[in-house]
Amino acid sequence: MKLDLDQLRDLIRLLDESNLTEIEVEHDDDRIRVRRDPAPLAAASQPVAPGAVAGSTHPSDAPASEEGEGSYVTSPFVGTFYRAPSPETDAFVEVGDSIAPGQVLCIVEAMKLMNEIESELAGTIVDVLVENGKPVEYGDRLFRIETT
Amino acid sequence: MFDKVLIANRGEIALRVIRTCRELGLRTVAVHSEIDTDALHTRLADEAICIGPADPTRSYLHIPAIIAAAEITGADAVHPGYGFLSENPEFAETCAQCSLEFIGPLPEQMRRWGDKVSARALAKSLDLPTIEGTELVEDVDDAVRKAEALGFPVLLKASGGGGGRGMHILESKEELRAIFETARSESRAAFGNDALYFEKFIERPRHIEFQILGDKHGNIHVLGERECSIQRRHQKILEEAPSVALSDEMRNDMSATIQRAMGEAGYISAGTLEFLLDERGELTFLEMNPRIQVEHPVTELVMGVDLIAEQIRIADGQPLGLPERPLSARGHAIECRINAEDPDTFAPSPGTITELHMAGGTGVRVDSGVYGGGRVPPNYDPLIAKLIVHAPTRTQAIAKMRRALSETLIGGIRTNIPLHQRILAHPAFAEGRFSTRFLDELQA
Repeated sequence: MKLDLDQLRDLIRLLDESNLTEIEVEHDDDRIRVRRDPAPLAAASQPVAPGAVAGSTHPSDAPASEEGEGSYVTSPFVGTFYRAPSPETDAFVEVGDSIAPGQVLCIVEAMKLMNEIESELAGTIVDVLVENGKPVEYGDRLFRIETT
Repeated sequence: MFDKVLIANRGEIALRVIRTCRELGLRTVAVHSEIDTDALHTRLADEAICIGPADPTRSYLHIPAIIAAAEITGADAVHPGYGFLSENPEFAETCAQCSLEFIGPLPEQMRRWGDKVSARALAKSLDLPTIEGTELVEDVDDAVRKAEALGFPVLLKASGGGGGRGMHILESKEELRAIFETARSESRAAFGNDALYFEKFIERPRHIEFQILGDKHGNIHVLGERECSIQRRHQKILEEAPSVALSDEMRNDMSATIQRAMGEAGYISAGTLEFLLDERGELTFLEMNPRIQVEHPVTELVMGVDLIAEQIRIADGQPLGLPERPLSARGHAIECRINAEDPDTFAPSPGTITELHMAGGTGVRVDSGVYGGGRVPPNYDPLIAKLIVHAPTRTQAIAKMRRALSETLIGGIRTNIPLHQRILAHPAFAEGRFSTRFLDELQA
């Protein structure tokens, strides 16, 4: 099977329009597979303080972007950005650290509620984009990650 | 006085509040969803905070995000506008817990007036003439009993309903039996509450409402009435003040009744009491809206009052800055709600506004939330601007509005301006002979 660019485009479109994450076509000895990440990239979050007034969070569609080089972890809340669990302790992560999905990267405090922001990506921290203790808006970029 | 006000709203009402704050020397914080990053309220406030995605349940209705935005900007008061969280007592309570002044009524007053059945009972206990109605109905047999006791025709209403949704006019018990379960499930689906009740159905009422202001020192002012009978499916689209249907005597009597009743109720902030005026000239209380309303500018123009400024002063604990004796209307004001919708089918018409020219000249006021090149997102209310005119007489106000509408140019989206022109050109409208059925009959 000789695959041209138009056929590849068709396959990508098919994938986009479907709920599938992968399409594989085999013909004679040729094989092509089009695949996408199971879910959009996003930062997960877990409120760690009980009670208070926070509503539900929707980490799965919190904005995350893949522009430029590397990927970004963005803030799923309005609040205050903290790099460490307390002023006396070390930062959760530093530039150069390898990170795994589920790893806590920082805290965004909203309404006295400390929300731990977890990575959904595996990779390396390339840049910390917000200063400790500064306010962040919904969608603000917090970390740049080089994914592996 | 607080010095930084967060406006928990969008569109024209957010701008309306920002403008008064600026005139009072208060700093402003806009909150916005991602899709409103370039909206006018976002641009004109001193600070703007993105609080969530376009979905209002995760931005403009999301209490933690709004409170967090107030915290990171150091705002010390919140104005909720209308819609969204403006009548949500939990939001007002949360603001208080977070040391933010909520510019509006107290949470318990919102609860008391927010539920229609309890509001009617409260109005009755305050000796306001109140529309005849029933308690909540239990099941279909109970509904038939209650409807027969009230007398057909009746209006079946959802207790959690609003904006005219969830209502059925019923002529007979057969009709009632046929529709009851559907109405109940509709109500459950739309309002998360399947409580239903009846009101006496009035064939051709006019919708008349009275504006009030109450301060924290027990003073109540009644600022006359608005005529809001021009409605489509119970959504107001054109309002005016004063109403041609009220004599001075009726107006003064009702104003005195309301002033006494709301004083007894200890009401604080701006509020509106809605009444139906039947064909015999009787006003009966329908409901109370504990917030600023879309159509407040017509009252502002004829009374010479800035209602948002009064709300802010009241929240700050100042006594009302109005004269002791009741104000009387000066001239006549009309408001047209400009909606991004098809003037015939009423289908929403979101999109990018390619060109925009709003009317001007003497006696014309524009409260708008849009600009040329800006976008009308599909996620929110279709109201994009309000055109309001003020003239010495009603006839002159109608002529001025027709002139102002003819100057208004909004390109790229469809608007209901042609519908407003048809209403204003109609002889029955000019003569002031109309009811809430006017628009349905015009369309038919």
